[in-house]
Amino acid sequence: MMKTRLFILLQIFTLVIASTVGTAQAAVIGTADHFAQQSRADQLIHINALFAKDAVAQHMADMGVNAEDVLARINALSDAELQQLAQNLDDLPAGSGILGVLGALFVVLLVLELLGLSNVFSKL
Amino acid sequence: MLALLALLSACATPTPAPPKSGASELEAVPFFPQAQYQCGPAALATVLVHSGVATTPAALVPQVYLPGRQGSLQLELMAAARRAGRIAYTLDTTAQALLAELEAGHPVLVMQNLGLESAPRWHYAVVIGYQPEQQRVVLRSGTQYRKLESWRAFMGSWARAEFWGLVIPPPGELPASSTADAIGPYLAGQEGQLDPAILRAAWEKALARWPQDPDLMFATANARRSAAEPESAAALYRRLLLQAPEHMPARNNFADLLLSTGCRRAAATIIGPAVSVAQRLSPAARDAIISTSAAIANHLSRPSPDPEYCRALIQGLS
Repeated sequence: MMKTRLFILLQIFTLVIASTVGTAQAAVIGTADHFAQQSRADQLIHINALFAKDAVAQHMADMGVNAEDVLARINALSDAELQQLAQNLDDLPAGSGILGVLGALFVVLLVLELLGLSNVFSKL
Repeated sequence: MLALLALLSACATPTPAPPKSGASELEAVPFFPQAQYQCGPAALATVLVHSGVATTPAALVPQVYLPGRQGSLQLELMAAARRAGRIAYTLDTTAQALLAELEAGHPVLVMQNLGLESAPRWHYAVVIGYQPEQQRVVLRSGTQYRKLESWRAFMGSWARAEFWGLVIPPPGELPASSTADAIGPYLAGQEGQLDPAILRAAWEKALARWPQDPDLMFATANARRSAAEPESAAALYRRLLLQAPEHMPARNNFADLLLSTGCRRAAATIIGPAVSVAQRLSPAARDAIISTSAAIANHLSRPSPDPEYCRALIQGLS
């Protein structure tokens, strides 16, 4: 566990270094920078991205995602997205689907049945 | 606070009346019945396969499913689309946008809240059609290949999920409902997250749709240069500066390109107006302009004139 965590951290670190080196271009104004000028918030986002990456990776691992999958998943997210996930991973809506609804309904019916308040199942 | 207000106003808005026209059904959209809690991978596979990606819900589970939440997050669906080499565009939150996408042949992945505001049940489904006469929406949803939902019920559940919707067009296609103002910042936000060739195709498509937009010209010219196509990049920077001589970032990048192709004097001509206003620009733009003009000055110390082809590159701009 400790080893995989260390591995993830190391990978993140390497990636961050690599991306910083990549953006240090000569004197060309990048498209992303040009559009980002309009909102100063983007610069803050970039500064905090390192912390966000770490936090999201840890959180995903705690939620039962494999170590290799965690790495691929956080690498697929932009700085702004990482920020958002770091703050709200527990609260953002997570689509799970209608089977869950049926499951919940089933449990309610079962409880009612066991309490003798309904007889849905006895008629089957 | 703003988000809260938006949410409140969303609740207060009555369901828009069902549109009278726009009958369509995208019958070719594939169907993947969902496994428990996994409507995310199923819905995502549906739109990805339709856009030409070879994938399955099972292959997407490790990319988007969060066991601890028994579901999938919207942001991760979008990230997984990028991993498949596609751009996921969030939809403008109107019924018109939904119908415009269907008409353009784009199925729309939507989030619905099948529960209550206070006890949400988040669900992903794919809208593939609309029937104006019956006032119904056709969906690939859960384990149902062709689910018919009344307009009222659908709009209610969609409204409770803040009308969140996603379109994943084939490469080089844009959503039918996107606007010039929205597409630029959106694509710029994908820089660094996507294969540059895929992004470049999207910039070119956006430019073709809004040929006069200065920032789309700038972004497309940058993408061309990054793709090692200096000639078509130069032609576009020139076109942009003929139309908008005050676009200083374009002056900087064009001058840098000219310098790299051996056109020192042409580069000096282009960067000139930018240097005098550099102090009023953003720090990043200012630093780039100062550094570009310094590099040009450095090269100008040699007296030889520009090669012949340079003049055409900046024709009309000197």
